Amino acid sequence: MKYRDEQTREALAAEYALGTLQGRARRRFERSLKEDPGLRRLVAQWQARLAPLDALIEPVQPPARVWQAIESRLRPTTRPGAATPGMGLAGLWGSLGFWRAATAVSGALALALALAMTVLTPASTPREMMVAVMADASGAPLMTVSWSMRPQREKALRIRVVRHETMAAGTAWELWLLPGSGEKPVSLGLIGTEATQQLQVPQKLARAIDGAWGLAMSVEPHGGSPTGLPTGPVMCKGPATQL
Amino acid sequence: MPDPDAIAQLIARCALRDRQAFTQLYRQAAPKLYAVAIRILRREDWAQEVLQESFVNIWNHVAQYSPSRSAPMTWMTAVVRNRALDWLRRPNLEQGDADYDLLAESIPDEAPGPEALLAGSRDARALADCLKLLTGDQRQSITLAYVHGLSHAELAEHLKQPLGTVKTWIRRGLAKLKQCMEGNRS
Repeated sequence: MKYRDEQTREALAAEYALGTLQGRARRRFERSLKEDPGLRRLVAQWQARLAPLDALIEPVQPPARVWQAIESRLRPTTRPGAATPGMGLAGLWGSLGFWRAATAVSGALALALALAMTVLTPASTPREMMVAVMADASGAPLMTVSWSMRPQREKALRIRVVRHETMAAGTAWELWLLPGSGEKPVSLGLIGTEATQQLQVPQKLARAIDGAWGLAMSVEPHGGSPTGLPTGPVMCKGPATQL
Repeated sequence: MPDPDAIAQLIARCALRDRQAFTQLYRQAAPKLYAVAIRILRREDWAQEVLQESFVNIWNHVAQYSPSRSAPMTWMTAVVRNRALDWLRRPNLEQGDADYDLLAESIPDEAPGPEALLAGSRDARALADCLKLLTGDQRQSITLAYVHGLSHAELAEHLKQPLGTVKTWIRRGLAKLKQCMEGNRS
């Protein structure tokens, strides 16, 4: 149901924030909230108006068992269940390629590699996967990038930021393909700070990336490197390994 | 009151599935939120359930939080308040519970009044100034409803007034409150 009349919307938002909107009316209002950003804004405004009434309340320390209960209910950060049905986790763990890759990038990075696995979805269940575990100067993994080697018109990189670094204002994170054998890095595009993200590979690089030595990420001015080559500090890099 | 900037940063890290940040977020915000839940539910065991539900919810939906729309504590408080209200209005809530009745009687007639708010932040003073423009009945029913999560019917019973009267107080009071607070801002 839509609440078209502005006065009705306002009154309902107010009573919802106050807590006096109840029963069916409340549930109906909550359904509308999901699809109506304007209504959500009205509610947020009312919540902010009434919030000072909370400021006076004295904090009370909850018993330790509440936190224990919360922790036990959180999904683990590495989600083996998220591995694909086609190439289940058992398959991955058993796969020689996985362990070769894990060893190649040193034991410390194996966990990050396992993390990268969790971003694989059925759409990319190919046998032939490439993974780059990218580490900072100290060797700590910062992000993983994986992609399918199967020839595709549209190739997408699955990026997982393992450890978050803050992106400074006015800067951008640029992902680079390192062709290897002394050739210059090639830009793959800008990425964000989200924990999981996707990046379309420019079509002309679709083949090059399968044969790449590895990937790197550098901090660049807003909008990306002005020169077409990394100009800022390289935050992390790592070799690409076939699974 | 937890530092809003620190809370906002912790929430941003939680969106990146940073469990350590979540632990810190709980440490900083839980005591306040627990108090909010106790005040509405008037039973500690229920408040603990609601606090637990709320934090699991916050973790699962933290990516939907928009800093431009609401202050971080206001957002988390809203999660707890909504959970608590849903809990109170479950269809099969045990009725006539001895503890419940006992605590319900301890509801003060007017909880945090404009005077108490005057000592607070700028927002709190703005609210206080506008609450003063309301009639006593309007102010009392609005603050009681918010602070203790009383429904229209509970308010009517508590204030010994017909249901329709209480509804009108609230509706008119809220309209006046908005008009006043918007007017002061511009």
